[in-house]
Amino acid sequence: MATTATISISSDIAPGFGGISESMTLTQAGSLVDIDSTTGFSIRKLSATGAVDLVTMANELVEPKDSVAAKIYIRNIGYRDVIDKSVGVTIGVNAEPIGKLYGGDWLMMPLTCIDADDITVNPDNDNTVVIEYVLFYEEA
Amino acid sequence: MATTTAAVTLTSDLMSTNMSVSATTTCMKAGTTADGLDQMEYGYVDLPTGDEYDLIASTPTAGKASKLYLKNHSTDETYFIAITQNAQAIGKLYGGDWMFIPADFHDAAGDIAITANGGTNKICYALFHEGTALVTT
Repeated sequence: MATTATISISSDIAPGFGGISESMTLTQAGSLVDIDSTTGFSIRKLSATGAVDLVTMANELVEPKDSVAAKIYIRNIGYRDVIDKSVGVTIGVNAEPIGKLYGGDWLMMPLTCIDADDITVNPDNDNTVVIEYVLFYEEA
Repeated sequence: MATTTAAVTLTSDLMSTNMSVSATTTCMKAGTTADGLDQMEYGYVDLPTGDEYDLIASTPTAGKASKLYLKNHSTDETYFIAITQNAQAIGKLYGGDWMFIPADFHDAAGDIAITANGGTNKICYALFHEGTALVTT
């Protein structure tokens, strides 16, 4: 029951930079046991500015264990095959802005999963945009 | 135009049908469609336990686009680094874990800070950005 994530980064900014290619197997905290729970793959359509919860930790049907090894993948997939790289969606944790995903951009990051640390999304404008995401966590 | 691309492949067999997600993005400057990120920092450091440290020594320009890659290269799976941004806990990267985020250095307090746990952690990071506030000597 394995979950794996592989990243490849290439760049011609710095001469001689050979790129990055790394994989990880998502495991439970401090062990080699595979992570065992997920929200499943979901999408959320946004059509107005203003921060809303993408993931409300206290509302998860299965309570994630706090402060361990959770990971979330989020991507701005645009709307109806139109990906606008000039407009972004700010991703936040407990109201702290983490960064902005422009059209097509993605992130993969660890989470605390404590109830206060909801994942929020806030579009730059009122144009419709769709966010896809999946959360992997340990069941409490 | 400088070109930086970041690709991810995510697979999981936790559900009845295996999940496989692949995505690639070209990292652009904020609000543009034709101009890529053109500056970067790349490092590999030993992170001792005991204190919280800013991962990025310089300060990327607020409101600009930045992409941060960070991996914990510790081989002991019990070691981890705790990550905060502007004092908000983000999560933990255990030995072997990596993350990739569009870091929002919105002000001087918006730095990414990391704390090692378990022992000295080995950290690799890369920041792709469009400008930093350089520190004069």
